[in-house]
This record gives sequence, structure tokens and C-alpha cells, in this order.
Amino acid sequence: MYFAGIDVGSTMTKAVLTNEGGELLSAVKGPTGPEHRRLANEVMRGALEQAGLQIDDISYIVATGYGRVNVPFADRQVTELSCHARGVFSLFPGVKTAIDIGGQDVKCMKINGGRLIGFVMNDKCAAGTGRFLEATAATLGIRLEDMGDIASKATKRVQISNLCTIFAQQEVVALLSRGEPLENIVAGLHIALASRVAALAQRLVIEPDLALTGGVAMNTGMVRAMRESLGRDVLVPEEPLLTGALGAAIIANEAYREAAEDGTLPTGTRRLEEATFFAEEDL
Amino acid sequence: MNWFVGVDVGSAYSKGVITKDSELVGWHVISSGANYRASAEVIRKELVRQAGLSEDDLTGTVSTGVGADNVYFADRKAGDIVCTARGIKNVFPQARTVIDIGSQSTRAIRLSEEGMVTNFAFTEKCAAGSGRFIEVIANVLRVDLSQFGPLSARSDSPITFSTGCAVFGESEAITRVSEGIRKENIAAGVNRALASKAASLVRRTGLEEPCALCGGGALNDALVRTIEDELGINLLVPPQPQIVTALGAAMIAATPATPAPGTGPK
Repeated sequence: MYFAGIDVGSTMTKAVLTNEGGELLSAVKGPTGPEHRRLANEVMRGALEQAGLQIDDISYIVATGYGRVNVPFADRQVTELSCHARGVFSLFPGVKTAIDIGGQDVKCMKINGGRLIGFVMNDKCAAGTGRFLEATAATLGIRLEDMGDIASKATKRVQISNLCTIFAQQEVVALLSRGEPLENIVAGLHIALASRVAALAQRLVIEPDLALTGGVAMNTGMVRAMRESLGRDVLVPEEPLLTGALGAAIIANEAYREAAEDGTLPTGTRRLEEATFFAEEDL
Repeated sequence: MNWFVGVDVGSAYSKGVITKDSELVGWHVISSGANYRASAEVIRKELVRQAGLSEDDLTGTVSTGVGADNVYFADRKAGDIVCTARGIKNVFPQARTVIDIGSQSTRAIRLSEEGMVTNFAFTEKCAAGSGRFIEVIANVLRVDLSQFGPLSARSDSPITFSTGCAVFGESEAITRVSEGIRKENIAAGVNRALASKAASLVRRTGLEEPCALCGGGALNDALVRTIEDELGINLLVPPQPQIVTALGAAMIAATPATPAPGTGPK
């Protein structure tokens, strides 16, 4: 038996397939465009190909993330908070606190035995999210993935006074024109984002083990800045982007067992193509 | 003859006015750019040129705005709230409330019958509800700022932004464009979002008519009308809404400074 988790985030869509032992068989990610449904299909198809499986081989599919309602081939939608908690717990069984910094949101979670017991999130504002770095990187004309390396060359950190991403974009232009070296500005942006996230996380009682996930955790500069701002060690998974999708696959496995006991298993065949708005283009 | 200059260095535009015996003689508006000091210098040169003077003829200069410290030739700095109030008193002495929509911040100010500030509220730390939101979306829509109002006025069905955040608003606008939503409906949605923010600031300070609107945002006619609808009143809009705060600074320059307690000559 096989299970799938698909996480349609604001910036990236991720799909993972597992077997019934919870072993990871394949994982695929791609940028989320405005056409969620088509992308969910593509990423799912990629994950199936990688594992050498067909859609009908999958016993249960859970969709999560902010675009989860746009995954018509999923059997169930589960909030990203529950999926992240479960995913992170499967990687780090000692985890008590997890911080997930995504493209448009930041989630700080308290976890007990894989269950979510409390959380705080950013509120309708890009401050404290991956967008802060993405937008300022664009203003500075550098690639997002190079930011960590650039920050590591800094001789000092420039103080970034604006929390608002839009104002921070103006601020970095002013700093550059004042002759501040790029690496010092980039280092300042990292610590500004990290202290914003740390302030949010500290609304919870942070207990170790503490894990950092989400796309932003792929940036080593941010991992350093988070360790410094929190004054604690943080655990980072090898694939920090995948914890939500992984949790969704684990929940899919459990949901299947429950449904089997209740006799409410999903029936009928699933087809990726039929479920999309863009069927004609795809053919 | 006494010549006074007021310079208002905002985050997007720098504004300057020159007055002769309290009469407006000239004014100048330029983009602030990254070098506020250079912008202030350009403004002073242009103002003395318009008045046919040399820089030594100026009696006094007051600076205001986020870049006030960069106006190195100013004799004094003044707070922007006080300057806006003073400028409005000069244009519309009857005004009891002022809304000022600037790039960095939107502000609501309540005035007494004498034109003194009695209460104020402003957006801070965040581009939601400030003129910067318009600049950001105008850039997405590839329309000149001056065309934003006329574009918005042609809307038949303004979109609703799901958050106030200008960064998220930017991605939302891009998504709507890709979905084929007409530019005018996106522009009108921005004006609505700003109007509702401005209205909530005004409600915080208390609305007393007549109410004036100034700042660069007042150049956007469709925004003016949207705020009027939102508040259910008519707004007084000066012919040059962008220079009101600079005008106030020049008026303050013409008023003898009252030394702070303990700082006067012994």
C-alpha cells in the first residue's frame, strides 16, 4: 500500500509518496503558480514517476497547505499546522517546538508526541516570512539562494530598521547608495528576519528539541541567524521544504486505517487529468 | 522683505515652497531618490531661482519630513504633523480634520478652531494604507502614478485585497492580472483598500467637518472620491495638495521660535 501527501504552499508545491511502513519513496517540488490545480497534478505525476507507481496504486492522499482545496484528487484536506507537526515529529522524535518559515507565512508550533498543542503565526503581513528575503534579494539584484553565502562574508551587520518588507526594500536601496557593502546589508536582513521570527516564537514557551523547517531553512545564513536570535540550537531536516507533505502522507496512512475500520474507504478510480481545469491543454 | 523656505523631504518626494511675507511665491517637487541631501539642495536652488534671489537673501528655512535632518541649510526642524496642520490652516482655515496621504504614511489630524492640533493618528511601520501601496501596484500594472486615478475611475467591479500587506497585495495583483482581471478593477481595489484605511484612521481621531485631504495621494482623483464615499462627506482638496506640509514649514519659519524652557540665554 502507498500513501501520498501533497503540500500546496504559497511559493512551492511539494508531493511525497510513502509505503505503508512510512518509508519515503519519492519527493517532488515545483513552484506554485497561479494555476494551483495544474501544478498539483504535475508535481503528483512527477512523484509517481519517480516511485514507478500509478495514481491507482495510491491508497489515500492527503492535501495540505494554503492551496489544499485545489487538489481535487485528494481524499482529505488537513491544515498545514497538523501536517507540519506530524512531519517534523517523524524526523525528530524529540521535537517539542518547531518553526516553519515559508514563502508567505511563518508558523511556530508546540508539539507533543507528534500532536499540535499550540501555535502562533504571522498575521496578514509579510514581515517574518520568506517574502522578506525574496523581495529584498530582488531589490538588491541577487539570487535568493546566494543570500546565505553573501551574508557569511559580512564584516559587520547593518541594522535594518524597517519591519515592513516594502519599506525595507527602500531602506536597502538607501543603504547601498550610502556605500554600505552588499554583504553587510544582506547579513543585516538575515538578523532582522530572524529576530522578527524569534519574537513571534517567544510568545510560546520554547522547549527543546527545536526544529526549523520551511524553504527559508535551506538558507544556512538564516539557520545561523535563528540560532543566534533564539540563543538555542536548532535542528534542521535534510529537506526542510518537505515536512508538511511528509506529515500529510503520514496522516494519509492513519486516515486510511481508520477508514478501513469504519468501512468508509474511498471508492472509484482517481484520475489526475479529469480533475484539472486545464485538461484540454494537457492532452 | 522676508523670504521664508519650507522643505519637506518625504520618503518618495521632496517638496519645497518659498514665501514672501507669508505669500506663496514658488514651489518645487522632485523625487527624493536615495540622496536626501542632494534633493534638498536641488529644491533650494530652484526656489531661489523662481523668486529671483540668491541663497543669502533667505530669511529663514524650516525642514520637515523623514529626511528633515538632511536639509543641512535649515535653521530649524519641525514635526510633520504640526507642519501639515499649519499648511492646511493657510489654505483652508475652516478645516477641522485633515487626512494626509504620503508615500510612507497616511495621517489623520484633528484641528481646533484656531488650527491647533488636538489629536492625530497615523499608519506606521507598515506600507498598508500608505501611498506606497499605490506606487507598488502601479508598478505591477505598469501605469504611471499620474494615470492611476483615471484608470481606477473606469472600474466597474473593484477587486478586494485579502490582506492589507502591500507585499502580499503585490503578489495578489500579479495573480489577478494573470487571471485576466482588468487593470482598472485592480487599481480601484487599491484605492478602496487605502480609502478604508484612511477612514479608519479618521474615525480614530474623530471626524469633524470640514475635512481636508492633502499629500501626494490627493492627486489621485479616484482615491479622493472613494474616501468621500467611504466617509459620506465632501473633502476639501487644495490645488497643490503635495506641498501643504512644506508650506506649513515655511509658515513656521516665519514665526519666531519660542525657545524651549531652560535653553534661552541666561
